[in-house]
Amino acid sequence: MAEWSPRATAALSWSFPVLALAMGGLSATQAASTPLYMLVASLGLILASMVGVATSDSGNRLTTGIAVASAIPVVFSGGYGVDTAGALACYGFGMAGLWAIRHFSGERHEELLPTMLRRLGGYIAYVMVYSAMRVGVLTDLSGGWEDLIPFFGAVAAWLGVEVVLRALLILGPRELSRAYLARALIQDLNVFVGLALTGALFGELFLALGWWALPIALLPYSFAHAAFKRFQETKVTYKQTIRALARIPEVSGLGVDGHADRTTALATSIAKELGLGPHQVEALEFAGLMHDIGRVSLNEPQILKMGYTDDDIARWSAEIIAESPYLDKVALDVRRQYEPYRKPGQQDDPEISIISRIIKVAAAYDWRVHLEGDTPLSALETLHAGAAYEYDPEVVASLRRLLQTRGILSRPVRV
Amino acid sequence: MQRRLRIAVPYFVMGLAVIVSTGVIFETPRWAIWFLFAVLFVLLEFFAVEVNDRQFQSSSIMVVMTAGVIFAIKSDATFAMALMAAMAMLTPLDLKERRWFQPMANFGQLALSGAVAGFILDANLGLLEGTVGTTDLVRVAVASTLAAAAYVTVNNLLVHRAVRTVYPNDNLHPWSQMHVLLGGQAAMGLLGGLIGAAYLIADRPAILVLFVGVYGIGHMSLYAFSQLRASHLGAIRGFVKTLEAKDMYTRGHTERVAYFAQLIGEELAFTGTQLETVKWAALIHDLGKLAVPTELIRKKGRLDDGEYDEMKSHAHLVEEILAEVDFLQPMVDIASGHHSHYDGNGYGGRGHKEGHTPSLEACIVAVADSFDAMTSARSYRMALSQQYALAELRRHAGGQFHPDVVDAFERALAKTGRRWGARHSNDEEMARRLAEEPELTLRG
Repeated sequence: MAEWSPRATAALSWSFPVLALAMGGLSATQAASTPLYMLVASLGLILASMVGVATSDSGNRLTTGIAVASAIPVVFSGGYGVDTAGALACYGFGMAGLWAIRHFSGERHEELLPTMLRRLGGYIAYVMVYSAMRVGVLTDLSGGWEDLIPFFGAVAAWLGVEVVLRALLILGPRELSRAYLARALIQDLNVFVGLALTGALFGELFLALGWWALPIALLPYSFAHAAFKRFQETKVTYKQTIRALARIPEVSGLGVDGHADRTTALATSIAKELGLGPHQVEALEFAGLMHDIGRVSLNEPQILKMGYTDDDIARWSAEIIAESPYLDKVALDVRRQYEPYRKPGQQDDPEISIISRIIKVAAAYDWRVHLEGDTPLSALETLHAGAAYEYDPEVVASLRRLLQTRGILSRPVRV
Repeated sequence: MQRRLRIAVPYFVMGLAVIVSTGVIFETPRWAIWFLFAVLFVLLEFFAVEVNDRQFQSSSIMVVMTAGVIFAIKSDATFAMALMAAMAMLTPLDLKERRWFQPMANFGQLALSGAVAGFILDANLGLLEGTVGTTDLVRVAVASTLAAAAYVTVNNLLVHRAVRTVYPNDNLHPWSQMHVLLGGQAAMGLLGGLIGAAYLIADRPAILVLFVGVYGIGHMSLYAFSQLRASHLGAIRGFVKTLEAKDMYTRGHTERVAYFAQLIGEELAFTGTQLETVKWAALIHDLGKLAVPTELIRKKGRLDDGEYDEMKSHAHLVEEILAEVDFLQPMVDIASGHHSHYDGNGYGGRGHKEGHTPSLEACIVAVADSFDAMTSARSYRMALSQQYALAELRRHAGGQFHPDVVDAFERALAKTGRRWGARHSNDEEMARRLAEEPELTLRG
């Protein structure tokens, strides 16, 4: 998608609530459910969509709205099958309302519009597939195992539409690759599926118990919610700890101020631009932060006497990291990041992981720009010159695209 | 061995008696459903997640209650629950270590716990005579909460008794804190009971599947959380090892200090979270030394004033290094006060206030640190004996050290029966001469 001007984006964004309301209104006239039910469901969708669920730092913002959206078609069914129009009406009204709340609380159109389109697209796919499969598989919900077939089919369709729209709808400057965006959702699949299942659980319970369903469905969910939260908090803490420990050389005056942080930020951007998965991006962050931790050994009197090379630092860093039982892969990445990406006479050295290659390029760029005072352009040219042997040309090309997007290189660089 | 038999045999016989007698008196469940729940129950017991120090979050109580409520309403729960609970007698650790005593004792105590809980459910829900409606949900909620609480209490009391008999020297505080778990377990039981009733009212198997789905995802996340936590702890331990590699004399120091600190904390009846905090604080207490020049740490003999100041900075440096780790701030406060004295002297970072007694936790780390410093060899002297080190702690109790902490440490150490430090106790004169280095406790 080409980049949109802010005005066009705003106009497009404003048409969203109008269209959503129109869809809601038209569907409401065809709905079998009572207006009161539709009102409660729409308000429930809006409120639940404002309650976020702790997800990884993949950029996903999942909310309990997913559970309400998944419950609506299950609740809106009876002897006649599914009240598809009623469900669509709730989605339309709910999303229009949510758009208004988020717009007036100051969210930018470039972010608001894609999110809203993606959500609504997913909901519509879900209810459509659900209704179709209910007609095909069963007409009335008996509460038996077969109830779950249309539900799981519909959730799969929902997820598919989410992933595709996530990759396609990008407004504004684009640093993240489509592949990364699509894969990012998969990382939080457990949260997504947990919410959708909660919605279906509420729906099934509601048909049998009425409003007793609410507390009963909330109980298992609150357990899952707490688990997501603890996991997320630990993840944040873990990263903070690694970052803090990685700064030990700097604190003791043996490191290079800010080098590890800047290298990691740049390397992470490159990885996302190249479309690495969230797990790899995470491993890369750890490796980037700690790639120079071996410098802590630089106050050993013996080392100062004997001298050292950059290769030694990479080795010491890896040795320190390898002391942590769960970080052996990171240690390997750090060990390899000092080596050239291929051996002489070979096309490629498969032993050097993409993570090592990215850190190598990012660290070299940061070193040139921030410590040797090169301009970004000449630093990039140095990397290009080394692309035949030292630096992976694909990574260097990604760095160039990134710098262009950020406006750091005003003109395209020629090799 | 004899102590073990004295528990294992009666417990096991009691378990058999409970199962046989309830089997005779009460109706048997529908075996297909019983089997389904029993499999789920055993699986959850096997994958229990450690959420806090030694406290396991086991969701199995919920499954037992779901099954119990269904059986209590449809037939009888007492026998069905006794048998199901007894299935959890084996744990992964038992299999790994080929233990016989724990499974036998557990069989008995679990069967009784299950029977008591089942009986409470039968007494409350038996009147429903096979049918249940939404109006009965409050009754089900109360009954399953009570039953779960009884299950945990009986279980707790019997385990406590067994542990006290078999390991009279062991510290019982972790077990005496089970009341903390009681609320959580009762809530789990309530949830399980409601699910069982909802399943019967609605007569919808789909509910059970969806429920297991949501719960299973939550359990998986909790499992992932505990893995992540272990990895986090592992990372810190790894860095501490690096620190210790700088000086062969302090190798293993941090792990030992963490061990001593934990002993003291348990003796002082700390709760799980408090205990964790002290342990973490002990693990990071010397992290600041990573930033102190190696030759200073290894130096033999006296430090000059400048060097001494630099050495002292390690208490502050831990604050600087870990400033951005929110989670570790309470531990950092403790760690940076580990050279503060009880009487308000000493030095340290944020955790040290001139003239004020540092926190109890900081006093614990101080005692643990000094004890290990004395009982292990240093570049400037030999290791001292445990006897001498304890005498030294006592001599400075009320001055440098917190007297309660020193007392607790002596008691805890006596219970373990282990000895630290030099094998031969140096004669008093010799030991004192060796120890009368001014940096003795400061260089720990």
